[in-house]
Amino acid sequence: MLMCFSASLMGVIVFLRKQSLLGEALSHAAYPGIIAGVMFAGSLSFDEQESWISFFILCGAFCTAWLGIKMIHWLQEKWRVPPDAALCFILSTFFGIGVTATSEVQFSFTPLYRRALSYLYGQAATMTDIHIVLYSCLAFFVLCVVIFFYKELQIMTFDQNYAKSIGIPVKKIDALFFILIILSVVIGARSVGVVLMSAMLIAPAVAARQCSHNLALFFVWSAIFGLFSGFFGNYFSVQFTEILSQISPHARIALPTGPMIVLVATTICILTLLLSPTRGLFIRFCRIAYFQYTSTCENILKSVGRIDPDRSFSLDQIKKTQQISSLYLRWILWHMKRKGWIEQDNSSFFLTQSGKARSAKIIRLHRLWELYLSTYLGVEADRVHRSAEEMEHILTPELEQELSLLLVNPTQDPHHQPIPPP
Amino acid sequence: MKTMPPNRLDPSSPLALAVHQLMVNFDTVTALWDITLSVPSGLLVAIVGPNGAGKSTFIKAALGLISPVLSGNFSFFETSLDNVRQRVAYMPQRESVDWDFPITVRDLVVMGRYGKLGLCRHPRKEDWEIVDDYLEKVGMTNYAHRQISQLSGGQQQRVFLARALAQEADLYFMDEPFTGIDMATEVVMIELLQQLRSKGKTVFVVHHDLNTVEKYFDWVILLNMRLIACGPISTYFTPSYLQATYGKNYALFDQALKLSQQKQTGYISP
Repeated sequence: MLMCFSASLMGVIVFLRKQSLLGEALSHAAYPGIIAGVMFAGSLSFDEQESWISFFILCGAFCTAWLGIKMIHWLQEKWRVPPDAALCFILSTFFGIGVTATSEVQFSFTPLYRRALSYLYGQAATMTDIHIVLYSCLAFFVLCVVIFFYKELQIMTFDQNYAKSIGIPVKKIDALFFILIILSVVIGARSVGVVLMSAMLIAPAVAARQCSHNLALFFVWSAIFGLFSGFFGNYFSVQFTEILSQISPHARIALPTGPMIVLVATTICILTLLLSPTRGLFIRFCRIAYFQYTSTCENILKSVGRIDPDRSFSLDQIKKTQQISSLYLRWILWHMKRKGWIEQDNSSFFLTQSGKARSAKIIRLHRLWELYLSTYLGVEADRVHRSAEEMEHILTPELEQELSLLLVNPTQDPHHQPIPPP
Repeated sequence: MKTMPPNRLDPSSPLALAVHQLMVNFDTVTALWDITLSVPSGLLVAIVGPNGAGKSTFIKAALGLISPVLSGNFSFFETSLDNVRQRVAYMPQRESVDWDFPITVRDLVVMGRYGKLGLCRHPRKEDWEIVDDYLEKVGMTNYAHRQISQLSGGQQQRVFLARALAQEADLYFMDEPFTGIDMATEVVMIELLQQLRSKGKTVFVVHHDLNTVEKYFDWVILLNMRLIACGPISTYFTPSYLQATYGKNYALFDQALKLSQQKQTGYISP
């Protein structure tokens, strides 16, 4: 859970720098180091000493991840390889070396082989106090760096040249940032696994981006989502393993934690993308539907009011003016009845007082806009109608006031029809 | 009308900028060749030249932002840049930044104060007051809490200018501030630059519109990979110098230089 915390904080910076694939490259590049650490521990016969094994693995992972980053930069600077190609090349090459080495370990150090495999997809179930202490230290350190260097990180991510020009030690802070991200990825790989670690960097950051426009809150949300995913990922993997073992005890299924954590993180991500109040896809869809509904209501009121506000109208008469199905029309008329704009008398409808007032208002906005277009923008009289059809639903009371001030309380529109008073 | 600030041609006041034999190479391309110039303080200086002439490179080299093969040296107020970093401000090109970054206008302008604050310190009340003051000067007070992604091109440029002004420096470098903005913004900006000059500050501006150079600026640096001229507008902003800057007379020189560069870095066999 704590390593997801540090990874999600680092993920914010990686996301804003548009280097999201960096996490992928780092975790894959760390894998041969892990195997090397395993082989080293095995050759020194440290089979049973958990802490030493972990230490060697961590060192090995850190070394190869750092080497991978250096090689990516080198390919870009000296060989002019495009950044995405360099990243992909190093990522897959290092990972390939690691996987090949794994098959070597399989026969020479069999008990450690399983340990090496567990780093592929993560296995948090076997954690000792040392691990918890280590993760807590890292998480605390990352948190301190983010808080103390907040404004430096902000300015360096936004405008690096400007940051250099005002004297911020960009190279040093960059180096610190890289060390922290390698540490977060390498340590997190134990819980989430090498293959999926990059998701823990990016998914909380993407989800948090939908929730806030403020960088500080961005960090906070990302950390919350990271913690959440870590906790529930672990919880669900344990629960489902138990349930599955009860259902079919012979299959010996053990759900690895890594994919479970990533699934939780992805679910959070999808939910925020759909439901975020400002940018959520689903929320916007609802708003669009609501806007179209109110526009249709107003159109109906307007078309009745234009002919004769006091006359009754039937369903078929309205259907001729609006291009909607009769089922939708019935539903809308029912809603308008509820709102108190119309009354029903068997199969014919009447506008109520408030309905008439509303209708007059729409017509007023429509004709004000037509007059504005033809007077001030020089649009011909036969072209203003189309634009007014759209604008009558959009103009706010403030804009209406400005328009009537500008046009000096007009009484007639370009088609010589009366403009209802406000 | 242009009024001369008190210390403009006073020999005892330090030179704002002095460059000595600057050379900048990027792999196979020479960006700047043997630039030597000096500029006194209290002037509005236009840096003028065709596209690809190295104007932005010149400013970036001055600020120590690029690290390819670089020889020659700069001095600011007769000392090195590190001693006077607080007195030098930079306004980069608008395209150099991602405007989707989650930050408000006010928070962007306060970045100009970060240089004076030092590491791990947060902006204080005085800094925010300075920020609000400069936001008002550029006419963006109503937008103070808006996201920068919602601004138009001219508004973005004004916010960048406010950030550079908030640094309260003595020397300003501005990279294409007048590109892609509306008339109203241009008027506001040139007024602020003239206020800076009347306080004795020096402003270097990369400028593209030749029609307005004489109206706005006092000195000009004509640049096309090499220095054509550096001095008062009245002397050096003439058709013959402009022809030398923008014309094709030196094409042979450029060709030879490029060939030399390619051979020296091993891209062509001798």
